[in-house]
Parts: sequence; structure tokens; C-alpha cells
Amino acid sequence: MKKKKHAGVERLKSRYGLMFVTPFIIGLILFFVFPLISSVQYMFSRIRFEPGNTVITWTGLKNIKYVLFEDPHFINNVVKGFSTFAYSFPLILVVSLVMAIILVQDFKGRVLFRGISFMTVIIASGVVIEYVLKYQGADITGAGVETSIMEDMIDVESILTVLGLPTQISKYFQVVLSSIMTVIWNSGIQTLLFISGLQAIPDQMYEVSKVEGATKWEEFWFVTFPMLSKILVLVSAFTVVELFTSKTDRVVSSAYTMMQSQNYHESTAMLWVYFLILGIVIALIYIPFNKYCLKRWE
Amino acid sequence: MIDSFNKKRLNQISKKTRPVLYSIFRLVILLAISYIIIYPLLYMISSSLKTSSAFQDPSVLWIPKVFTTENFKIAIEAMDFKNAIISTLIFEMVSALIETATCAITAYGLARFNFPGKKLLTVMLILLIMVPSQMIIIPMTINFSQLDFLGVLKLMGGLFGKELRPNILDTALCFYLPSLFSVGLRSGILIFIYHQFFRGLPKELEEAAWIDGSAPPRTFIQIALPSSSVAIITVLVLSCVWHWNDYYLAVMYTSENFPLAVSLASLPQRLSLIGIWPGDIRNTLGVMAGCVMFVVPILIVYLFLQRKFIKSIDRVGITG
Repeated sequence: MKKKKHAGVERLKSRYGLMFVTPFIIGLILFFVFPLISSVQYMFSRIRFEPGNTVITWTGLKNIKYVLFEDPHFINNVVKGFSTFAYSFPLILVVSLVMAIILVQDFKGRVLFRGISFMTVIIASGVVIEYVLKYQGADITGAGVETSIMEDMIDVESILTVLGLPTQISKYFQVVLSSIMTVIWNSGIQTLLFISGLQAIPDQMYEVSKVEGATKWEEFWFVTFPMLSKILVLVSAFTVVELFTSKTDRVVSSAYTMMQSQNYHESTAMLWVYFLILGIVIALIYIPFNKYCLKRWE
Repeated sequence: MIDSFNKKRLNQISKKTRPVLYSIFRLVILLAISYIIIYPLLYMISSSLKTSSAFQDPSVLWIPKVFTTENFKIAIEAMDFKNAIISTLIFEMVSALIETATCAITAYGLARFNFPGKKLLTVMLILLIMVPSQMIIIPMTINFSQLDFLGVLKLMGGLFGKELRPNILDTALCFYLPSLFSVGLRSGILIFIYHQFFRGLPKELEEAAWIDGSAPPRTFIQIALPSSSVAIITVLVLSCVWHWNDYYLAVMYTSENFPLAVSLASLPQRLSLIGIWPGDIRNTLGVMAGCVMFVVPILIVYLFLQRKFIKSIDRVGITG
């Protein structure tokens, strides 16, 4: 009798729960699942617009063949995207974690530095970043050259002459510097998530480790890092998506140019192929990482 | 003997100096990163105030001898600044506010109640975070050009012999509708932040309200929301910033009423339409002025909310 009453309350509560998420479910179906299915359909078909109607004809693997074998830039762009990813991803994680650890400490000027570092979150739009990293400038001869603010920022050539190194190296330095800049400008949200995660670690953990006589280094590896492991997964996922969909990514931007000329089927196919390759690569990295690294802490 | 004494001494010194060394190291890292962040901003502001001859003059470093507003004038003209900022405010900012509200409702439902299909919904939430919006943007655009909820309107239109499917592209609706159902711009991560916060909120108060006969919607509005200002501010700032900077959705959804981010992205081409070609220094300076005008409004809002936002981040408590 008592149990039944309890079950009734539970059912009532679950109904209220459903009430809260109903809009979300409708939205997911209308604006997520349904479009996702139709984009799979577009990958294998050709889209034409007639007044009042969209004609979709099945063409099989034609779009995918075009992307893989006929598009002259696709493979290059994919390789470029992955090489950017290969160095940016670990750097972004490390930089944002270091920033977060520094910014949760108590020191003079903390508010100022926090304000500055959160500014990357505020301005981190593809558009401004793109202009900052590379804009169509003009040198004194009037010929259009691609320059960047970063080149003005640190005068690489004069440093090299002071050090007595050949100026040919400056090209490499510039690449390194511009990637540092990209990394820092892209690690705003990650820092923010890490800060939030660090604050959520209970103080008792640190007190215990202090009583046990752990050094700072041990404290980091045996308290902070394992406690952050879940948020690390979230941040990694977020970073991967961010990196591969940013405006500076060449596949995405070329797909966008195709979209704007209403070439919907081929650009969809391009994005699908790209993100499927991406998904496979991420799975190949994540599964062994999860097995050998994250499990160790548990 | 002397050796061990020295060692002891050395240890003592290192114990004293270690924190000092560490704080110097910390300061160096922070200064370097601040430099990288602030330099481009200052550079933008400084060069947007320069005349093109001053920009080339190597003797003018930061502060030009003559300030000019010429760059801003051409940027405002090329970007159609007034209309652009109006459509940013109407399309994007209102959508951000809607999203902040609806994501809270969804996250509360996910965090506080058990219902059939919750696991599936959580998986969908993860997918929503992981799947890039570029994947679904084309079907969404086509769908919005002939708005139809799963074929219902087409069916009814067929029955009445009339075209009932409205074209809502280039109107505010195509930004509001997804936000209204909490699947808008990066909703996944916003729901996640709320979810984490609600999960950490003590349950007792809401249980007491339940026993006193308050229905969950009322409890949500009167008890849960007032105590979650931290999460609301975090989500509000993030949502506003992302909407303000949004380029990918806006460029597909709009064809005339371009928001600011879209006009800024095409600013070099727009400048060449009024006769200032890429390669001309005035083009570069105009772009810099455009960037300044794009960044400054959101920066001002941020400066007002900054203290609250920074405190909120400390207390949201995302644990994954």
C-alpha cells in the first residue's frame, strides 16, 4: 500500500520532469535529428531549387567521389587541418590548464590578469582572430602582401641578427610564433572550464595530501589531475570541435564558399567525409588513451 | 661536516627562495600571455586612428601625431554599420536571452527528475555538443526557406491548394526558433553548464517546497532560479558572446539584414565596392577600424559584468 503511493509520487515527478524537457525533445527532433538525417541524404543526392519546391535526386556516390578524387584541394586541406590539430590540441590543453592553475591561486593582480585572459573568450570570434593573424596588408611598394600583426609584434629579424643567426630561420620562427598566438587566443573557454573544475575540487583533498607529505608535483599528479580527468574529456571534446570548425580551417571555409554558391550537395559531402575521418582519428586516439592513461588514476 | 652544514644552509635558502622564484616565474608567464592578448587590441586601436601616411612612417610607433576618424567613416559606410548593429541586437542578442532562459528549463529537468528515456536524452545532449553546427546548417537553411514542421504544413497546403510554408530566412524567426527549443547556438554546452550547477545545488529546499504543495514549475521559478544567479550570469555572458561573434549561422540565414560579424568578415570586399581595393593601405586601416567597432561594444558590456562573471566562474562547479 505504502509502496504503491510512493510509486505514484515518483510517476508524478517523472511527468513533471518530462514537462521540463519536452521543448528540448521537440527541438532535438525538429532542429537536430531531422536535419542530420537529411544532410546524410544530401550527401548522396543532387539538390535543385524550383520555385516553391526543393528537388532532391539520388545520385549515389557521385558527390563523395568528387570530393575524394576530383577536388584538387581537399586532401591537402585535410592534411593541413590535421597538422594544425596535431600541434594545437596538446598545446591548447597544456596552456589552458597552466593558466587555470595560475589563475585560481591567490596573488596580487589576480583580478586584472583574469580579466585580461577572459578577454580571449569575449573576442574569440573567428572573424577578428582571422584579421589579427593574417590580413591583407600592403608593404611600402604598394604590392599586396599577407602580413600579420604578430610579425610586427616581435621583430624576429633583429633578434636573429643580434644572435648572429641567418635570417632564413625567421620564417620558421614566424610559424612558431603565430601558432603560439593561435593557441593562446583559442584557449579562453578551456581556461574558464578548467578554473571552474579546479574550484570544484574539495579543499580536504589538498589538506590530506599535505598531511601525507606530498610535494606540489605529487599533489598535482595524484590529486588535481585525476579530479580533473572528467572535465579534461569535456575540454578535449570542445577543443576538437572548435579547432576543426574554426573559420581558419580550410576544409570548412572551402565548404562554406561552395555553400554560398548554392552547391549544397558537394559541400555536405565534403563536410561529412571530413568529419568522419576526424571521428575515426579521434576514436583511434581516445580509446587507447582512455585504456592506458585515464584508467591508471582510478 | 662543512659539507653537510652547507647542504642544510642551501636547503634553507631554497625553501625561502622557492616561493619567490615561483612567483617571478608566474608573473613572467602571465605578462607574456597578457602581452600576446593585449598587443593585437592595441595595434588595432592604434592603427585605426592613423592616416595611411602615418601607418607607413616608421617613426610613428604607437601614437599618431594626427588622429583621424577617416578610417572609421569608411568602415561605417562600407559595413552599413547602423543596420548591421540593429540586426545583431534584434537577431542575435534577443536569441541569446531566449537561449539563456530555455536552456535553464531543460537543464533543470535533466538534473532533478528521473523519467523514461533520460539516458537517451543525455546521449543526445552529448551529440549536440559534439556535432559541429556546420553539419546541419544546410538542411536547416533549406528547411527555413520553406518552414515546415515534419511535412504537416505541406500536407495542409496540399489539402487547401495553397502554399502555407513561409520563408523565414533573413528574419529574426530563424534565430529565435532553435533558441526557443533550447537547441540554438552551442546550446549543448550551455545546458551542460546549467546541469552541472543544478546538480550541485542542495536538494532539501526544493523537497520541502514539494512537501508544502508547490508544483515543480513554481519551485523552479521561485526557489531554484533565485539561487542560481551564478550559473545564469555565466551562461548569459557566454551565450551573448557567442551570438555576437556568430558567423557561420548568420551568414547562411541572412541575405540582406547582415549582422555585424558577417559584414565584418566581408569588409575587405565591401571596401573595394566603394573604391578602396585590397592592397590599398586604406583598406587595411578600414578593416582595423571595423574590428575596433566590432569589439568595443561587447568589451564595454564585459567590463561591466566582469567582476560578477569572474566570481561566477569560481562557483559554477563544473566537474564533468
